[in-house]
Amino acid sequence: MQSIAEEAALRCEGITKAFQGVHAVNGAAFEVPRDKITALIGPNGAGKTTVVNILSGSMTCDSGREFLGEAEVTNWPSHRIARMGLMRTFQLSRELGGLTVLENLLVAPARQPGESLLNVFFRPRLVKRQEREDVERALSVLDTYGLYQLRDNRASELSGGQKKLLEISRAVMASPKILLLDEPMAGVNPALVERICGYIMDLKRDGVTVLMIEHNLNVVETICDHVIVLAEGRTLATGRLSELRENVEVVRAYLGEVIDASSAS
Amino acid sequence: MTLFWLSVGFGFVTASVLAIAAVGLSLQFGITNYINFAYGDFMALGAFFAYVLNAEVFHINIWVALVLGSLLMGVLAVFINRFLLSPFVRRFQRTFYVLIVTFGLSLILLNLEYSIWGADVRFYQTTISRAIHIGPILLTKDQLIVMGIAVVLMLGVHAMLKTTRLGKSMRAMADSTTLAMTSGIDTKRITTITWFISGTLAGISGTVLGITEGNLTPASGELFLFVIFAAVIVGGVGSIYGAMAGALLIGLATEISAAFINPAYKLDTAFVILIITLLVRPNGLFARPGIA
Amino acid sequence: MSYYVFTLVFFLFDYFILAMGLNIQYGETGILNFAYIGFVAIGSYVTGALSLPNSVGTGQHYILGLSLPFPVNLLLGGLASMLFAVVVALIALRRLRTDYLAMVLISLSLVLYDICNNYVPLFNGADGLYNVPEPFAGVLHLTTNSFIPFFAVLTGVIALAMWFVMSRITRSPLGRTFRAVRDDSVVAAALGKDVFRLQLRSMLIGSFYAGIGGGLIIQFSGSFNPTAWLPGETFVVFAVLIVGGVGNNVGMLVGALLVETLLIHLPAFLPAIPGHPGLIEYLDAVVIGVVLIAMLWFRPQGAVPERLRKAVSFGVRDDAVGDRPLVVGAATPVVAPSAVATAGLRIEEQE
Repeated sequence: MQSIAEEAALRCEGITKAFQGVHAVNGAAFEVPRDKITALIGPNGAGKTTVVNILSGSMTCDSGREFLGEAEVTNWPSHRIARMGLMRTFQLSRELGGLTVLENLLVAPARQPGESLLNVFFRPRLVKRQEREDVERALSVLDTYGLYQLRDNRASELSGGQKKLLEISRAVMASPKILLLDEPMAGVNPALVERICGYIMDLKRDGVTVLMIEHNLNVVETICDHVIVLAEGRTLATGRLSELRENVEVVRAYLGEVIDASSAS
Repeated sequence: MTLFWLSVGFGFVTASVLAIAAVGLSLQFGITNYINFAYGDFMALGAFFAYVLNAEVFHINIWVALVLGSLLMGVLAVFINRFLLSPFVRRFQRTFYVLIVTFGLSLILLNLEYSIWGADVRFYQTTISRAIHIGPILLTKDQLIVMGIAVVLMLGVHAMLKTTRLGKSMRAMADSTTLAMTSGIDTKRITTITWFISGTLAGISGTVLGITEGNLTPASGELFLFVIFAAVIVGGVGSIYGAMAGALLIGLATEISAAFINPAYKLDTAFVILIITLLVRPNGLFARPGIA
Repeated sequence: MSYYVFTLVFFLFDYFILAMGLNIQYGETGILNFAYIGFVAIGSYVTGALSLPNSVGTGQHYILGLSLPFPVNLLLGGLASMLFAVVVALIALRRLRTDYLAMVLISLSLVLYDICNNYVPLFNGADGLYNVPEPFAGVLHLTTNSFIPFFAVLTGVIALAMWFVMSRITRSPLGRTFRAVRDDSVVAAALGKDVFRLQLRSMLIGSFYAGIGGGLIIQFSGSFNPTAWLPGETFVVFAVLIVGGVGNNVGMLVGALLVETLLIHLPAFLPAIPGHPGLIEYLDAVVIGVVLIAMLWFRPQGAVPERLRKAVSFGVRDDAVGDRPLVVGAATPVVAPSAVATAGLRIEEQE
C-alpha cells in the first residue's frame, strides 16, 4: 500500500466536458501532490476553471474519474466533495452579502451541532459552546487576514481586495485538506499579491494541499512547487516551471500571451 | 370514437391559443431572463381592449378589434417595462425583486380590470357560424381562423428569428446579454421590441381565448396562466420551439382528457403532465442547457 | 365595538404567524414560495374537517370528519401542511431555480384552488366548510361575544410561543446557514452544506406555521371557503414581509399591522359606491400592490430593517484577539507572521 506521502491528494483522469458540442475539457488528467502548492496554468480558454468546477463538484463531467486520495468521488455533488475536505474559492469573489464578515466565516465549519433543529432546542449549551469556539477561531483567522476591524460589517460593503481576502479566509475557516484557488491574484494590487502569497505558503506549512489557477507566472515561480499546464482542454505538460519554459509545446500554446514576468500583473 | 376526434379538434384549437401565449412568454423570458407573472393579466387586458372596441364603443369586427387591441397591449407592455420593470432589473441584481414586482403588477392589473369592468362575464360580438367538417373533426369558422392565426404567427416568429437581423440579435441576447452588448447589439432597443411583441402576442392569445371559450372575465388570463407555464416548462424553458411543441402537447392532452374525465378538471391535466415532466425529464423536451 | 377590535387583534396575530412561516422560507432561505396560501388553506381545511363530525347527514361533503377536539385538530392541520410541503419539495425543489420554482408553485396554487373549488367530496367545493365547532365549546360555554376576545387572546398567546420558537431558530447556526443558502446557494454547497435538505427543512418549518395560521382562521370564524384564499392572497403575506421588514420578527408585526390596516380598516370606513359592488375591495387591492412595489423601490429593507449580528453578541471577549492595526497595501514580508499557527488552523479529520 502506498504511503500517505506518496499518494496524490487529488487525482483525475480522462475528464471531458462539452457544452453544446464544444469540448471545454477534452481529456484532462493530472495528479496534485500532497502538501505542496501546485499551479494550474494555461492560455485562456484552456478549460482551467471548468476543470476546477468539475473537481469541486459544481459541474459534472461527461466522462472521466476523480479521486481524493484513495476514494473515488467522480461526479459527486459539491457539498459532498466539500465534506471530504476539498474547498474552493471563486474567480469572482462570492461573498455572502447579507451576512457580516464574521458570519461569513461562521458558516464555514462543517457539521455544526447548531445546524440541527433538535440540538437548537434540546442541547442549547452544546450549541452555544461550539459557537463560541467557532467565533474565537473565526476572529483569529480574520485577524490573520487583516479583516478583524471589518468583522461586523456587511460583507457586501467590502472592497474588491477585502472580498478576495474574505473568500480565502472563509475557505480556510472550513479547515480544508485541499484548497482549490481560482485565480486568487486576479485584479489584486501588487502589495496584496505578496500578502496572499504569504498566506498560501503558511497554508502549505500547516499541511494544506493547494491547487491554484494562476496567470501570474511570477507568483507561480515564487511559491509553486509543481505546475500543470492545460491547453485546449487537455493536460499538456507537468513539472517545474523552469523545465516547462524550455518545453516547446508549452511555449507554443502560450504564443501571443506575455510570459514576461515584469509585465505580469 | 367521434368524441375522441372532436376532442382532437378542440385540442388543436387550445394548442393554437396556447402556442401564441407560450411563444410570447418565451420570447420575453429569453431576453429578460425572468418570468413575467403578470402575463396572464396582459392577456386579459388585451382581450378587454378588443372587447371595448368590438362590443362596446365602436362595434368593430372582432378580428380587426383583435389586432388593434393587441397592438395597444403591446404598447402598454413597453411602457410597463420602461417605467416599472426595467428600473427594478437595473437596480437589483437578483431576479427576486422583479419577480415580486410582476406578481404585484398582476394583482394591480387584475383589480384595475375588476374596477373598470366588474366581475361580470362578457361576450364578444361575433357572428355565429356553422361548424365545418374536416374529416372526423368538427370546428367552427372562428376556431379555424384562430388556428390559422396561430400558424401564421408561429411561421412569422420562426422566420423572424432565423432570417431577420432583429431575430438574430434576439437569439444572441438570449444566449448572453453581455456578449451581445459587446458585439454592438443595441440591447435596450431589442428589449423594447421584445416587450412589444410579447405584449401583442399576449393580447392576441387573450382575445382568441375569449373567442374560443365564448366568454371573458378579468381573471380568464390568470386562470389560464398555469397551463401556459406548463407548456413552457414541458417544452423546455428558454426554447421558443419547445414552447410551440409544449403547447401542442398540452393543448391536445387537456382536450382529449376531457373526453375521459370530468371536463371541469381538464386544465388540471396540464399540471399533471407538468409534474410528470419534472420527475422524468426536468429540462423539458427542448431545454437549453445550463438553465434549469 | 370591542367585537370589531378583537377581530382585528385576532387577524393581527394570525397574519404575524403566517408572516413568520413565509419568512423562514423566503426571508431566511430565499425560497420564493408563491403557493404559500395553498399551505395555509390545507391547514385550515384539515383543521376544520378533523373537528367536524362525520359528514353524513350534515349537508356538507368532506373527508376526515373525526370530531377531534382543539388543539389536536390544529396540530394535525399543521402537520398536513408539512406533509404537503414534503411532496412539493421532492417534486419541485430538487431541480428548479428561483423563477421556475415560482412558476411551478403558482401553478400548484391555482390547481389546488381549482380542485378544492370544484371537487365537492373533498372540502365541500365552492361552499367550503362551515359550522365548524367552536374550540372548547363543551368546556367553557362561551357566548359569541366572549368567544371572540377569548380566541383573539389565545391566538396572541400561540403567536407569542411560535415567535419564541422562531427566534431561537433564526438566531441559531441553522438560521445563519439558511441565510447563507439564501445569499448564495452555490457558495453554501461549496462549503459543504446540503442545500436541498436545508431548503426542505425550511419549507417544513414554514409550512407548519402556515398550517397553524390557517387552522386558527377556521377555528375563529367557523368557516372557510375558496374565496378566502384566491392565489393572490399569497401576495398579501409577501406584502406583510416586505412592508414590515424581511427577516425581522418585530418588522413582521409592524408589517402585519400596516397591511391589515390597509386591507381591513380602510375599506371599512369608506362608503360602498352604489352600482359598483366590490369596487372598494378592488381598489384596495390595487393600493396594496402599489404600496408594495413602492416599498420595494424606496425602502427595500422594510419598515424595520434586518439587524446585523455583531460579534459581541456571541459572548466572546474581543480583547482575546487584540487590536492589531489594519495595514492594507503596505509592504509586508512574504511570509505572514506565524499567527496563522496560533489561529488554531488545525486540519480536523473529516470523514
